[in-house]
Amino acid sequence: MMKNFGYTINTKRAIDLDKNDLSIAEEVMREVPSWSLCIGCGSCTATCTAGAFTDYNFRKTHLLARRGDIATLRKELDKCMLCGKCVLQCPRGVNTRGVIAALCRLLPQ
Amino acid sequence: MANLYFEPFIIPFIIGVAVLFSVMWTKFISWISALPKSDKRLIMKNIFSVATFKALWEAFRECLLHLRIGRVNGRLWYMHTSLAFGWFLLIVFGKIEALLYLDSPVIPIYVDVFFRKYFPFAHVGALGVIMDALLLFVLSGLAAAVIKRFRPSMYGMKRATTHTLGDKLALSALWCIFPLRLLAESFNSAIYDSGSFLTGSLGYLLAAIFPSKTLPYINETMWWCYSTALGLFFISVPISRYLHIFAEIPLVFLRSFKVRANVRATTFTKLQRAACSRCGICIDPCPLSENNISCDTQSVYLLRDEREGGATIAKADSCLLCGRCQRMCPVGIELDTIRISVRRNLREKFDRFDYGYTSNIDMPLANSKIGFFSGCMGRLTPSVGESMKRIADKCGLNIWFMDAEEGVCCGRPQKMAGNIEAADKMREHNEEMFVESGIDTLVTSCPICLRTFKEDYQLKGIRIIHHSQFMAELMESGVLNGLDKRGTLTYHDPCELGRGLGIYDEPRLVIDRIGTLVEPPRSKADSLCCGGSLAHLGLSLEERNKIAATTDRELESTGAECIVTSCPMCKKSLERNAKVRVIDISEAVAERMA
Amino acid sequence: MAAKRVIVIGGGVSGMQAAITLKKQGMTPLLIEKDINLGGKLCRWDRLFPSQTPAKEVVESLVGQISELGIRTLLCCEVSEIARNEGKIEVSTTDGNSYEAEAVIIASGFDLFNATRKEEYGYKIYPNVITSVDLEEMFKEGRVVCADGKAPRSVAFLHCVGSRDRQVGNCHCSRVCCITGVKQAMEIKELYPDCNVYNFYMDMRMFGSGYEELYTKAQEKYRINFIRGRISECSGTIDSGVRIKAEDTLAGRPLKLTVDMLVLLVGKQAPALNAKFASELGITVSPDGFLKGMDCFENATRTSVEGVFVAGTATGPKNVGESMSEAVKAAMDVSEYINTLS
Repeated sequence: MMKNFGYTINTKRAIDLDKNDLSIAEEVMREVPSWSLCIGCGSCTATCTAGAFTDYNFRKTHLLARRGDIATLRKELDKCMLCGKCVLQCPRGVNTRGVIAALCRLLPQ
Repeated sequence: MANLYFEPFIIPFIIGVAVLFSVMWTKFISWISALPKSDKRLIMKNIFSVATFKALWEAFRECLLHLRIGRVNGRLWYMHTSLAFGWFLLIVFGKIEALLYLDSPVIPIYVDVFFRKYFPFAHVGALGVIMDALLLFVLSGLAAAVIKRFRPSMYGMKRATTHTLGDKLALSALWCIFPLRLLAESFNSAIYDSGSFLTGSLGYLLAAIFPSKTLPYINETMWWCYSTALGLFFISVPISRYLHIFAEIPLVFLRSFKVRANVRATTFTKLQRAACSRCGICIDPCPLSENNISCDTQSVYLLRDEREGGATIAKADSCLLCGRCQRMCPVGIELDTIRISVRRNLREKFDRFDYGYTSNIDMPLANSKIGFFSGCMGRLTPSVGESMKRIADKCGLNIWFMDAEEGVCCGRPQKMAGNIEAADKMREHNEEMFVESGIDTLVTSCPICLRTFKEDYQLKGIRIIHHSQFMAELMESGVLNGLDKRGTLTYHDPCELGRGLGIYDEPRLVIDRIGTLVEPPRSKADSLCCGGSLAHLGLSLEERNKIAATTDRELESTGAECIVTSCPMCKKSLERNAKVRVIDISEAVAERMA
Repeated sequence: MAAKRVIVIGGGVSGMQAAITLKKQGMTPLLIEKDINLGGKLCRWDRLFPSQTPAKEVVESLVGQISELGIRTLLCCEVSEIARNEGKIEVSTTDGNSYEAEAVIIASGFDLFNATRKEEYGYKIYPNVITSVDLEEMFKEGRVVCADGKAPRSVAFLHCVGSRDRQVGNCHCSRVCCITGVKQAMEIKELYPDCNVYNFYMDMRMFGSGYEELYTKAQEKYRINFIRGRISECSGTIDSGVRIKAEDTLAGRPLKLTVDMLVLLVGKQAPALNAKFASELGITVSPDGFLKGMDCFENATRTSVEGVFVAGTATGPKNVGESMSEAVKAAMDVSEYINTLS
């Protein structure tokens, strides 16, 4: 068996935009158009009430959802308290709670 | 054998009545029998009490006289009352008429309804005058209804409800009933030269116009039409908004027995839904409709869609739960609770939130019997906490800022989204923390937290108050004194604090001590929403700003130099668009301390 | 031959530069300034990026030329009304006079974002939360200390306060705060080499000549910590420190940090006055509230109304150099316009 010396990218690590299913992301984007405005500043994660107690990172979670890397995301969202602080913090005015609510419904359970 | 008085033209009427009563009774009986045990116990406990009489009186007042509508809108009241009460009186006097004439205790119902057809010569005197007057009364209500449909602005309504197919069918039948009755009775009078001032005169006229040999045929046709209109209307009642006529009666009784809607929907929710008359009074007070954001998601449409098979999640989510519509609803439907229950039904299978991690959280030790909970939003308005610290220092009080480091959300945002189980998990965590901390007073500056603490939490031995109430008490008892009284201030009632919990007076008492309070045109129970509400899951920032701007303009119209509110969310929303300062009530107080 | 009177509204760098160029072109400028002296916002500034030139030098040079050329200047004077009538510009001022001219250059500048509107950062709540302007004034006085008079051992800068923030209604980028943050961070390190300095940013926009080099120098020479993440909220500590919450987005983890001083890099926003100009003169305003030139290129300093010209930050955030170059362009356009009148 050939040894992997790290010259190839481990396919499990890479976001595979050739294969990932973006249909859920598209559906959420239709429901919450402001989602497209995210610039990844991290305000939502910084202010997150659940994030103060756990490793819940909404910025990463929703970004992965947008990239279609959704296999493990639903469990992440279960930590969210839906308190709404992130909505008030987002400099781009993304309706973050709307995104969370939609993802909770649409991501594979 | 008793006389059945059967004639073919009564068939449509008989079918209508039979369908209506069988469907209605099936519905009501199945709903009431499917109520939760706790509700049934309430019914058993209260049915043999004064509550029943109170309900009877209320049913008379509201189902027939519609007094609550009268308080909202006089013209609308006339329309409803003339139709409902007028029709009711027609039925009652019809019965009296039949009883007096036939002198028999058992008379089939169609005999009193079609009394003129059966006995054209009976009672043309006083009773005839009464019956004609009543018919005129109902017809005037009908005219009012027609005008309302096409010109709602004449009733001070910006928007009238849009109708379903069932509604349209029932409405068409309803609109035909009384003109047909007038014609049928008038043709009857034309033939028999009977009838009172209305039907008699019209009959006289008809006799002059139509050849006398055609009159019996037209007469027979008219009675058939009248009976058909009645039958059609009765059949369409269960599939239309007119079900409210009958559903409102059991609703009034159950409500009087203290049965309430639950965020976990029961059959009482279905009964309330059926009792909605789709009058549309809930549309105009809605901030979403006032600001042209959405005009098809108001309570009337949510209840309608639910009756028609289920509302979409987008529609259920599109509401601020500000409570403005609930306050205006003439039927007294618990619109906010019902909306949450709809959301719960739609979200139940996705409500898998897991807050197991909260069990590892240790709350810092309490250093006072008075605990202050700022809540999530309070962390974004630090001046509130800082002001409370200064006020406490001045009063020589020690306050424990319990969630200064971090805190678990109160759960109300999840509850409003319909995730009841998630909200319960947070509630249980917080209850344990609060009780174990040993505090005896829980003060919060967040009306969202306050509402769920008061309505949902079990906190034995702990007094739960809003910081405006806390300050009002300190002022009343003379502990907080020596404050400057300066400036004109206007006050914005937060929805959760005002309409939600009925706390209107204490904030005003506080403001009265520190400045001149000027009320905006709509205040207290009628106050506007700031647009920030966490209850709405779909609003964009621009839409929220639109609502806030309307509220800001209203508050600024007072000419006050400063808008005072007592909710971190309202403060955040209002200050985005305000032309004057927006501050929390605690800041206003702290600023005026010597 | 027509008179060549031109009113210049605003005595900041662009207003002064415009007046000077006009005079040199043979026009008769009248400079109106609301403050007690000329120089505008630059009077509060210590040194200018990227060359560290003292702001005083720039202001003094311009003021010197104004007086040398004998340009008529009204100080402590605001425009109360402005109108265009029969080809003439009529300006009434708060001192009760009115002036007539053939043309006007609006160089009324910008407003600084009021940092108290971002309550979560604690400006005016916690004593050691200051703005970039406060810090610049400290530099000017030569004494950068915390509220208790002690030297700061750690300082954090927060970029984009009141810029690129729809929550406060400012969608635009104020452009100069990024480089100001780098400049001020370096200056702190020059004063206090042992001080830990952190810059929290969303994007670093190093658009000018020499800016990127300054950024590199800040990293390489001064070891300033650039953290990609926006601060969400602050709280005060018992010893008057400032506790910061942010996400280190590149590490993907929430971050907590306590510093002695937090500096908010406040942005530029359109002044309320712009709405007045727009309604009284009929010129157009961009959605962000700044005045709009006829286009973004050749006619950037002309407006949709004849005889009305714009220069400097009245049309949007700019640095000092850009404002001055634009002022020259506006003055040349005015000369050309007035010469066509005669």
